[in-house]
Amino acid sequence: MDRDERPEDIVKALKSIVGSQWVLTEETAIEGYLRDETPEAIRPHPAPWVVLVKPSKVQEVSEILRLANSRKIPVFPLGGRTGLAGAAIPVKPGIAISLERMNRIEVDLENMMAVAEAGATLGDLIKAAEEGGLSFPLHPGDEGAQIGGLIATNAGGVRAVKHGIMRNFVKGLEVVLPTGDVLNLGGKLIKNNMGYSLLNLFIGSEGTLGVITKAVIKLLPKARYTVTLVIPFEKRRDALQSAQLIMRTGIIPLALEYMEWEEIERTSRHLGEAWPAKGKAQLLIILSEFTEEGLLQGCEEISKICEDNHALETLIAERKEEQDRILRIRSNLYTAIKPYVYDILDVTVPPGRIRDLMDKVDAIAEKYGTRIPIYGHIGDGNLHAHIWKEEGRGLEFANKVKKEIYEASRSLGGVLTGEHGIGKVRIQEAHLALGEKEIELIRAIKGVFDPNGIMNPGTIAG
Amino acid sequence: MDEKGLHSIVLIKQVPDIEKVRFDHEKGRIDRSSAEATTNPFDLNALELAVQVKEKVGGIVTALSMGPPQAESTLRDALARGADRGILLTDQRFAGADTLATSYTLAIAIKKLGHFDLIVCGEKTVDGDTAQVGPEVAEHLGIPHVAYVSEVKNVTREGIIVNSRMGRSYYTFFLRFPGLITVTKDVNVPRLPTLRDMMKARRAQIPVWTSDDLVDIAQKERFGISGSPTQVVRVFTPSTEGRIGKVIQGDAENIAKELFIVLRQLGILG
Repeated sequence: MDRDERPEDIVKALKSIVGSQWVLTEETAIEGYLRDETPEAIRPHPAPWVVLVKPSKVQEVSEILRLANSRKIPVFPLGGRTGLAGAAIPVKPGIAISLERMNRIEVDLENMMAVAEAGATLGDLIKAAEEGGLSFPLHPGDEGAQIGGLIATNAGGVRAVKHGIMRNFVKGLEVVLPTGDVLNLGGKLIKNNMGYSLLNLFIGSEGTLGVITKAVIKLLPKARYTVTLVIPFEKRRDALQSAQLIMRTGIIPLALEYMEWEEIERTSRHLGEAWPAKGKAQLLIILSEFTEEGLLQGCEEISKICEDNHALETLIAERKEEQDRILRIRSNLYTAIKPYVYDILDVTVPPGRIRDLMDKVDAIAEKYGTRIPIYGHIGDGNLHAHIWKEEGRGLEFANKVKKEIYEASRSLGGVLTGEHGIGKVRIQEAHLALGEKEIELIRAIKGVFDPNGIMNPGTIAG
Repeated sequence: MDEKGLHSIVLIKQVPDIEKVRFDHEKGRIDRSSAEATTNPFDLNALELAVQVKEKVGGIVTALSMGPPQAESTLRDALARGADRGILLTDQRFAGADTLATSYTLAIAIKKLGHFDLIVCGEKTVDGDTAQVGPEVAEHLGIPHVAYVSEVKNVTREGIIVNSRMGRSYYTFFLRFPGLITVTKDVNVPRLPTLRDMMKARRAQIPVWTSDDLVDIAQKERFGISGSPTQVVRVFTPSTEGRIGKVIQGDAENIAKELFIVLRQLGILG
């Protein structure tokens, strides 16, 4: 659609599909829907006008897409707008679809699965699973994230080391294609070997192939015992060495996180909370088991490894409020640092190479005379590196630093993004990790599902 | 005991985990089976304060708890967090105690412990919510007390200077030892135990005192239900009525009609 085309007739058609109160055009009513958590310096600007629709059922989504496809109007499926790669930002005039009204969740105890509509939040899913006597063990960041977004971005988070990522938990999907066709992919199945997995194609597709409206999500029994260990070290090398040895014991922590003192202190101050231990380099380890004995045995083994590698001490939090406080500080590292950085990277290398990656990042920081604060999911090789806003050095400087970090990751067999996705902010550099042929195939697949290119244009494949 | 230091006693209670506990509205009581037991959160602040006092002026910290045998785990938690010893008061005769009988029993046990300088309690427990036991213990022992301590200004071997929060104002007190304080959550952030201390605490022997151990200095009938002039007849939470929202749509005449019906149904219009 041209920028000049008046959208009144489209607005009218959308109103007839979802009801007039669920179609919004006023800037004040929709401005909150036009941004996500991407750092401001690199966040894409939303288009001058966007129509926001809030369908309540899959048939309405289908009709919206059919309308958009026939008029070649861009469609931007929104989730909870907690993404960090601008994937949900409508960058062209078009229709933004918020699925917030589609938020029902049913828990099937017998099959240990939840059927969740795409607009339900991560918080809703965690709660529903608990109430149904089960658990959803992943914690990919903000609990305001929506199921559709979690799947479309194949979200990861701090608990990936034990349980994996969204892809490991999505067993079925209801998706709407640009043609309006509704596909039901997979189901409440552990095994499903019916040829190409279209289901998996949608996981991580960032809204470029269709709209996810419902998902079947695997749940697990509740782990009865959970503790959080905080283990401070004076030297990064010792913390990283310990982390690697822990992974070789066979104990699989729920989370194995690495943090440095400056970031911990900044975040604690930001939240007005106290971190339990001092030390330049720290490991945060969450363990969950079904027996207390098994849990404590694991703690002792981990503690022994860390102390052999010069840990200052091993602190243990058993009480829920103490564990929550520690996780809250960890979860807010990004919130606290965000105003000071151009970008948060999530480069990911094979787990055994993360030490080398950190060394390379340090060398890049030195070369450019800047600081690159890091922390990360060390158990799965995923490092968050932040490009500091240096006075008088603009985006050009940030891009140079970023490119070097990407290249460092590639040289170690890694990728540019392990969590946040390509979105709209990493398209220019995607070729660093994807071959020409791969990009060609990605574009071809996109063309099969969305020949008119209406789905979330400007994302992944450009 | 360190001759030069202080003997602090921390009173600790095991309570149901208040985040998980369910309330049995029919029977009017807490369904204790619905939640795991945990240490009363304010008592951890009390313990932290006592451990900090020990670190500053030396001495020892005794954790004292009255409760069923399983309350032992709360004392192990206290040992892991810096208490030097824990003593559990447990006996059928102590059961059914109100705040008066509870504070009497605790005071007798403190007398039996011998010399002490400072007693520290949490401001209240999250299951009883009375905030009475601490001050009552002080009264039984005939020692001064300050409630709602939110800050320690200084501590010496002679006494402690504290800020007590009373509503909107703070009072600064000097409390000469022996004395008792109750503390709020603002007074400190309880430290985490080290794994080593926690494992050591799990293996520690916890002495258990029964009514027989106290009877030479106590009046037995003042223990438990027989020593309790008050009884809980019923516990209830007032039901809260939230706002009810209803969107009425249509033209003015129909809106008015529907509004009239709704208001009449609610008994607002006759």
